Amino acid sequence: MTANPSIQDTSSRRTSFLGKGMEVRRGLLAWALIIPITLVHLVVVVGPGISGLYYALTDWSGIGKAEFIGLGNFVELFTEDLNFRAAFRHNLFWMAFFLTVPMIMALSAASLLAQIRRGAMVIRSMFYLPYVLPSIVSAFTWSMLLNPSLGIGAALDKIGIKGLDHPWLGDFRTALASIAFADNWHWWGFLSILFLTAMQSIPVDLYDAAKMDGANRWQQFRNVTLPGIRPTILFMLLMTAIWSFLSFDYVWILTQGGPSGASELVSSHLYKQAFLRFEAGYAAAIGLTVSLMAGCIVGGFTILRRRGWEI
Amino acid sequence: MRHWLTRTRFCGVLLCLLALVLAGCAPVPATQVESGEAAMEPVEITVWLSQTAQSDCIVAESVDTFNAKQDEVVVNVERKATTDSLRPALAAGAGPDVVQLGGPVFAAELALAGQLLPMNAYADEFGWAELFHDWAFNIGVVEGELFSLPQELETLVLFYNKTVFEEKGWQPPSNLEEMISLAGVIQQDGLIPFAGQSSQCNVCNEWYVGEFMNQVAGPELVYQALIGEVPFDHPDFVRAIEIHNDMMQKGYYMGSLERFQAANFEEFTTAFATGEAVMNMEGTWFYGREGDYFGEGTTHGNDWDWVPNPSLDGTPIFSIGLGGTQSISKSSANPREAAMYLSHYFSPEVQGRLVSVCNYGTAPVRGVDEFMEGVDPRMQAIYSAMNDAFEAGGYGYTLWTFFPPKTDLYLYEELEKVWSGQMTAQEYLTRANEIFQEELAAGEVPPTPSR
Repeated sequence: MTANPSIQDTSSRRTSFLGKGMEVRRGLLAWALIIPITLVHLVVVVGPGISGLYYALTDWSGIGKAEFIGLGNFVELFTEDLNFRAAFRHNLFWMAFFLTVPMIMALSAASLLAQIRRGAMVIRSMFYLPYVLPSIVSAFTWSMLLNPSLGIGAALDKIGIKGLDHPWLGDFRTALASIAFADNWHWWGFLSILFLTAMQSIPVDLYDAAKMDGANRWQQFRNVTLPGIRPTILFMLLMTAIWSFLSFDYVWILTQGGPSGASELVSSHLYKQAFLRFEAGYAAAIGLTVSLMAGCIVGGFTILRRRGWEI
Repeated sequence: MRHWLTRTRFCGVLLCLLALVLAGCAPVPATQVESGEAAMEPVEITVWLSQTAQSDCIVAESVDTFNAKQDEVVVNVERKATTDSLRPALAAGAGPDVVQLGGPVFAAELALAGQLLPMNAYADEFGWAELFHDWAFNIGVVEGELFSLPQELETLVLFYNKTVFEEKGWQPPSNLEEMISLAGVIQQDGLIPFAGQSSQCNVCNEWYVGEFMNQVAGPELVYQALIGEVPFDHPDFVRAIEIHNDMMQKGYYMGSLERFQAANFEEFTTAFATGEAVMNMEGTWFYGREGDYFGEGTTHGNDWDWVPNPSLDGTPIFSIGLGGTQSISKSSANPREAAMYLSHYFSPEVQGRLVSVCNYGTAPVRGVDEFMEGVDPRMQAIYSAMNDAFEAGGYGYTLWTFFPPKTDLYLYEELEKVWSGQMTAQEYLTRANEIFQEELAAGEVPPTPSR
């Protein structure tokens, strides 16, 4: 109840006016704060992105003038470049590998870790440690470990376990899988910690209820844990699919795409075109193609989300 | 209650952001020379140099001696990974005054793109045409103008483990037949004929392509191919690649193809030094690291020696290679001072010190022999034999110096597909020839010293 309606009316209008002014100011402040990073983004991401679209249609060498050649680079890419096709096939293998092997390892490890109380932090740190190591360190370590005369195979051979002193990185039949193995070593621990964090947000009541219903460990995992962390799993599947097209460091450090192109990925193929063959325009066309592929993956996930998937 | 975001604070934040943006856009301060404040101050020029085992020594012998001997110019060295950072820097009108590149192919690419300064006037002023051997000086000429000066003269020879050879009573081979025959004997003896690797440096495959082309098909044919008179799928080139492939399949390199492709520099040099592998077809840059693997300071104490890479008929052929070039940036504000530094760098005194003190390769300049005191006699012998061969026309052509980039990349990358049986030597060279003809037509083949 108010003694003087006119005072209340004035006060209310004033508050409303002040509120709007404050909102405007907050909005302006937000814009003022975001403008610098937006400008930087425009300069270092949007600008090169647009110029990349243009250069993909030219014969640019990376320096000097670029001559417009229309879709010439794409025609060459899809009709003549056998190495690109091979690299693309390797990328599909790479994606399939990273969508399955580290996911299974990480889920298994996370579900086991979730049950450990004593020393859990130490084990988690051990799992996570490879992820924080620079890839140059991990890759060189693995190049030594996989070396047939200095590595694990040679050591096992000395104690009578034969057949593992194979030049894994030098054999074109095993090179790509060996690099994926080394890359996975640094990756799956990170995934397991991510999944573990997601698992810890699942209410304990759900497990209690499942136990009361007589669910065993596997049934709890399948019917409580997996649905509980489904958004995290699907998000990581999406990101893994995109990142698999960007992989470069382990391949470059360990084999540079060899032997005989057996471990060439699209990214290492792109690098060679741009910096060794001086065909930056062609490399831009490869980059654009890869971006479109990543766009298709994201588009696929978006469609699934609109259809009600919890992604 | 007064809201924390007052008008004054809001304006303050906006002003700070504006100041930051304006600070980023502000022009760099005028140099001392521009402002005329200190005309007597020395002019500063910049050199970019990658960090390597020898780079500190190179700086001490070239840059530091230049800075010490005069007070007009100061050379500042910036440690940069030159290969990847130079191109964008130069394209942006920045980068160093003195531009070090991987070889004349890279220099020609940048010269055609207008990133390098023509140096003819400085060549006349400082007498560079007389300083360099003729063939070497002309390598830097693009469309009639001089854009680069060659540094680090290289060639490939056959190094061998002298200690093991003496123990076994083997003689180093003098022609191709002897080398292949000896490789069989060595393998029968339980040793590996050749050390090598490709995992850490598959670009190193170009050593073998070039050497077998020059030693088997002959440098005359390579020359004719480079000027477009014969194709690169000529039967003699096919034969050269087949001979090398046969050696690879027999496990002459590192014991097996797979081990060769898995090995790195450390492993193959160790195998060579310890005598597990007894020959090494490598370039003169081996001198930069041999001291760490051979000699009295090692547990095995093994020694090395060399012979020319065995050619088909035994004639010594030394392939010309250049480990890099030096140019002046088009955007350099002080090109004459950069040329002064280059004159110092390429002087026979400095080049001699780079070899004798830094174990670095000399540039192909005249008069270095006088300053080779202290250089390992074996290296002196290589340089001496190489110069004799150059004078007599017994020189070949390395891929990284005389082949255009796309052909070069194709030859060393796709060679592994011949080894793995994915293509024949004929198919490999037919495609190489197609790529080369395209580059030849586009004018992208570096100048080839005539015979």
